[in-house]
Amino acid sequence: MILHGSLAIWIRDMQVLRRAIFSELVAVVAYPLTIYLAFGIGMQGYIGAVEGSPYGLFIAPGLITMTAVNAAYNESVWSLWFHRRVQFTVESYRVTPISVSEIIIAKICTGFTHGIIKGCAVGLVIFAITPFRFPLEHLLSYLVFLIPGSALFSCAGVISGTVMDKPETIGKVEAVLVMPLIFMSGLFFPLSSYPAAVIPWVRALPTTALFEGARRALVSGDMSLMYVLQVSLSALVLFALAVGIFRRKMAE
Amino acid sequence: MPTAAIIARSLTKQYAALTALNSFDLEVAQGSIFGLLGPNGAGKTTLIRILTTLMRQSSGEVFIQGLDTRTAGRQIRSMIGVVSQENSLDRYLTARENLVLHARLHGMDKQLYSRRIDELLELMGLAGRQKDFPDTFSGGMQRRLVVARALVHQPQVLFLDEPTTGLDPQSRRAVWDYVRSLAGSMTIFLTTHYLEEAEQLCDRIAIMDHGRLIALGSTQELKDRLSGTTVYEIEFERNVASYAALLKAMACVRTIDAKDNLLHVTLECWECLSEIVTALNGAPVRRISLKERTLEDVFISLTGAGVRE
Repeated sequence: MILHGSLAIWIRDMQVLRRAIFSELVAVVAYPLTIYLAFGIGMQGYIGAVEGSPYGLFIAPGLITMTAVNAAYNESVWSLWFHRRVQFTVESYRVTPISVSEIIIAKICTGFTHGIIKGCAVGLVIFAITPFRFPLEHLLSYLVFLIPGSALFSCAGVISGTVMDKPETIGKVEAVLVMPLIFMSGLFFPLSSYPAAVIPWVRALPTTALFEGARRALVSGDMSLMYVLQVSLSALVLFALAVGIFRRKMAE
Repeated sequence: MPTAAIIARSLTKQYAALTALNSFDLEVAQGSIFGLLGPNGAGKTTLIRILTTLMRQSSGEVFIQGLDTRTAGRQIRSMIGVVSQENSLDRYLTARENLVLHARLHGMDKQLYSRRIDELLELMGLAGRQKDFPDTFSGGMQRRLVVARALVHQPQVLFLDEPTTGLDPQSRRAVWDYVRSLAGSMTIFLTTHYLEEAEQLCDRIAIMDHGRLIALGSTQELKDRLSGTTVYEIEFERNVASYAALLKAMACVRTIDAKDNLLHVTLECWECLSEIVTALNGAPVRRISLKERTLEDVFISLTGAGVRE
């Protein structure tokens, strides 16, 4: 497959991101930072240690991961919806010699890049203003989760942005599906808090593999191959689905 | 090897129970400006989407520059330029960046596209605004930018889907002038609701309705085949009603329509005019003139006067 079309669209998206990088980062950092201040600092005294770590440190890796995957999802879903339904730029791409798959790959890459950049920004801020520290060699293991994780959410965003024609539906899906999936994955509490019968089901979720695996990788350098495979395979499946659904939608 | 720029044979597109295109046949000569007219829902958009490879036909075949749309989509898209109904400009990119993105999508080299973009911006009168965002442009300027975008890669066939809808008369004429200047250098396929536009620009015009081609020819050919009848306007000083009754009784008069001091008289043939003049001897006639048939008359006579949803 020739990917010059994907590259051209990705460069366009980065050009737009570069112009608005400051306002984007301020908005992106504000949300997880508020959560950190409220839960990590405000509630820390009441909660105490979780799995041997102070509560603030327990939630910090999850907040970085959440920022990254949220940014990946939001960029993909809104970008695709806006370009398809409002600006009609997808139509203008489609009359050039590039394939539908190239458009979708570009949008997934853009979402993924947003996720990585914004996740790193939040990571740096948390690193700077909190006592959360980790050995630098753990960062590599953490990225092994963050990269397919951002890709997974970027693909999910592409599917939502393709299937949904109304912006309010996109907001509803985020509230009903995306955020609960993130919150249920042990972002704010350990999985052991769930009733024993529920734990296998929660563990089966790719978001659990992502949040739980990423936290362990960053805090203790423990990289679960099972979790990595779970996240990566889910990302691959969603990628194939995203391409298929978008192609089908465009053929309508 | 077909020589026509666009060939459609028995083209059919079915959406569940609706037949949007029904055994549609068409040939557009190389280098010509071809106009497609039709009321809303006639199938124009479906046809243009199939011709530009955005949609697949249910049956039949289409060749663009000799290439089959079903098997050579990418190659065809590299040879065509499309100006869609919507502006589809990227409002987050400047005018120049919009053109650069399009050039990159066509895989053009920077050296080649930079020069070409400079030329096009100059030609479209947008060189001074190339660093501005399209949102700050007037409707006419946005449309010119869309046309420029469609021309960056020097297409062999240009599709213009209602290119002047919503433009003021000055901007519309500017687009017309530019389209005329392209004539001969590429094949232009134009859809429009403005019959004057088709009349001004097109070498040949097709009228379609209910997914079928119902008329094809030059403006004059279409007007000529409207009917053999001739319409005259006769203006009277007074007593229109009595002269209307007099003329209505004559065998060579097909229809008569009175409005104020004016009669529209449809004759069987122009030779009947002498009988009319004789009958009106001594009448207070101010003027007798031949009423030219317009493309709109042809269009309405073929597609009906009723408003389409």
